[in-house]
Amino acid sequence: MDFTFSEDQLLFQESVKDFLTNEVTPERIRASWESDDGRDSALWNQLAEMGLTGLTVPEAHGGLGMSELDFVLLAQECGYVALPEPLVHTAMVAVPLLCQIGGELADLWLPKIAAGEAKVVVGLEQNLLVEDAHVADLLLLQRGDSIVAATPGQVELRHNESVDPSRKLYAVEVSDSATVVAEGEQAQALVTGALDRGALGCAAQALGLAQRMVDISVQYTSERQQFGQAIGAFQAVKHHMANVAVSLEYARAPVHRAAYSVAAGEPIASHAVSHAKLVACDAAKLAAKNCIQVHGAMGYTWEVDLHIFMKKAWALANTWGDAGFHKTRIGEHIFAEGAVLGAGATF
Amino acid sequence: MKLSFSAEDEQFREEIAAWLNDNLTGEFAKLKYRGGPGDEHTFPQERQQWEKKLAEGGWTCVGWPKEYGGRGCSIEQQVIFFEEYARAGAPGRVGHIGEGLAGPTLIAFGTEEQKQKYLPGIVAGSELWCQGYSEPGAGSDLANVKTKARFDEASGKWILDGQKVWTSLAHESDYCFVIARTDPDSVAHKGLGFFLVKMDQPGVEVRPIEQITGTSEFNEVFFDGAECDAQDIVGAPGDGWKVAMGLLGFERGVSTLGQQMQFQNELDQVVELARKNGAGQDPTIRQRIARAHAELKIMRYNAMRMLSGQSGSDGSLQKEALIYKLFWATWHRSLGELAMDVMGPECEILEGGPYELSRLQSMYLFVRSDTIYGGTNQIQRNIIAERGLGMPKEPRVAAK
Repeated sequence: MDFTFSEDQLLFQESVKDFLTNEVTPERIRASWESDDGRDSALWNQLAEMGLTGLTVPEAHGGLGMSELDFVLLAQECGYVALPEPLVHTAMVAVPLLCQIGGELADLWLPKIAAGEAKVVVGLEQNLLVEDAHVADLLLLQRGDSIVAATPGQVELRHNESVDPSRKLYAVEVSDSATVVAEGEQAQALVTGALDRGALGCAAQALGLAQRMVDISVQYTSERQQFGQAIGAFQAVKHHMANVAVSLEYARAPVHRAAYSVAAGEPIASHAVSHAKLVACDAAKLAAKNCIQVHGAMGYTWEVDLHIFMKKAWALANTWGDAGFHKTRIGEHIFAEGAVLGAGATF
Repeated sequence: MKLSFSAEDEQFREEIAAWLNDNLTGEFAKLKYRGGPGDEHTFPQERQQWEKKLAEGGWTCVGWPKEYGGRGCSIEQQVIFFEEYARAGAPGRVGHIGEGLAGPTLIAFGTEEQKQKYLPGIVAGSELWCQGYSEPGAGSDLANVKTKARFDEASGKWILDGQKVWTSLAHESDYCFVIARTDPDSVAHKGLGFFLVKMDQPGVEVRPIEQITGTSEFNEVFFDGAECDAQDIVGAPGDGWKVAMGLLGFERGVSTLGQQMQFQNELDQVVELARKNGAGQDPTIRQRIARAHAELKIMRYNAMRMLSGQSGSDGSLQKEALIYKLFWATWHRSLGELAMDVMGPECEILEGGPYELSRLQSMYLFVRSDTIYGGTNQIQRNIIAERGLGMPKEPRVAAK
């Protein structure tokens, strides 16, 4: 048993963290809100150069051939900066789905993703809308019992504004000419896998978002003075932050455990993911609530950066399965006939 | 990362499972699932015998080094030991304070003579320990200890005067580790000593405290000229706080695994009841059970993660030790509330008289103490915010 990340995994996380915190500043995010498509192709190219778009692409297709477990710490860092680009979606959802579909489709698109030349997005019926459909070169869409692959010419998009201005959401009408790439049970399994990976990506980002909100708030409450002292010295303020710290700290292990489970293809992967999504998004929601509270009226302003992270946390909590969906999945696991739960079911 | 056990470890699992299966029988069968938190008053004599039985099989102090009589088990094997111990329904350990706290403290800070004198009794399951920290005036403000220790040159012994309170299992114990003030002019955490005090002596009186459960696990302990041999102070006079805090580290280590497995048994019982009485059909109950399950898993994952020894790249694991108490105590209190909601209207009806509580009722009441003893939730949040997050310290009123 070993519940640790390797030296290499931690070093990679560190370098990605450095890059993202330098490049993806709140100012740059605010600028992207004003741009036409909300996306920053220069940044995407930089991410591709670092190997991040191709991280989970097999080496034979020009990627790094790494797993969800290798990516999970990086997804946390994407959350920490509230990265608007669909990197987590690409590495966690689109690439693994393409790999599973295989064949010519994978041969064609995986190298382009790794090179940063193409974006592929996945749309599941669990989600109301499709993220980043406007910049997609290929869309993999669940249509009832099948999955179809559609080119931009085969879809009609209707933009929906998100509470998080960084998120670009689209209702997608797909033409009958789109290619069916999976059907029946196979498609169902692929949809479940994609949903699990999407939820895992949200969970990992939620950890980063919560951490960012904590860091911002600890700094603010250590500086802001009232009654002749820093407000962070008051227990009423401290306890808000301590509750967030506990919630966040204890959401980490389930997320890492879920990443391991997904990467290893364990039978309980869906259950592990639901656990991770539930607690990580709860931690981020609690962070948002308490961090705004300790900021006082400043936390309610557009000017203070807190809402960038708070809104993404809010959005991610309710996509790729909301809390009710994931709690229900955990409940089904517990109440299933012959469920193995107690002592000895640690892993 | 590798979240599974080796073949060798699985063989160890078979070994302990088989031993428990063979030995938790006959006179010990009635101890199954008994003696856990809130139930520690049950079968005290029989559980002491069980402690000795465990020792005969070499199943006490499994994580201690072999040179001190332990089994020298790896972390993985200790995880497995606690899992199988709980799965067999083996009873709450009466020796846990000695095995989990006193022993490791002596191994870390004690003299060779102290180790020779005290460790064998813990390993043999024949000598039980209790912890003398809290006092009427030293609760949340633990360093405000007033119990005095004075060295008597004539007899060459330390003489202790004062009062401890909330002392679990003092009435069953052979020894108590006590923090007491060696320097009468000192304040707060300075000037304290850490003493190993024999309970069976004229200067020590134990009075049970009746709890809201109607039972008594906690006690008041009065020291009135209690004697302690010169060599029974751990560390130097004045080092008591350092030793006491070192001990708290052990409290948050491997010994948490056993606690989590007891929690698992309680949760299993709640799930079983929910299946039987139909409460499990209620979606709100199902979701609360799902949450309890998820949070208990978190405690176990975190224990494994901490024991795997990685300090997180985000500096997270240093906080681990600080946050565990708040998390488990709050979880356990919620479990008690969940258990009562699963029981429904039957939750108020006692098993029998006089004041005979069912295990779940007893648990529901007992968990009220969890968020208080060992540092209240409020004290824990102060510590987490100040030491974990680095928030500004609360200004303190200068000590008199």
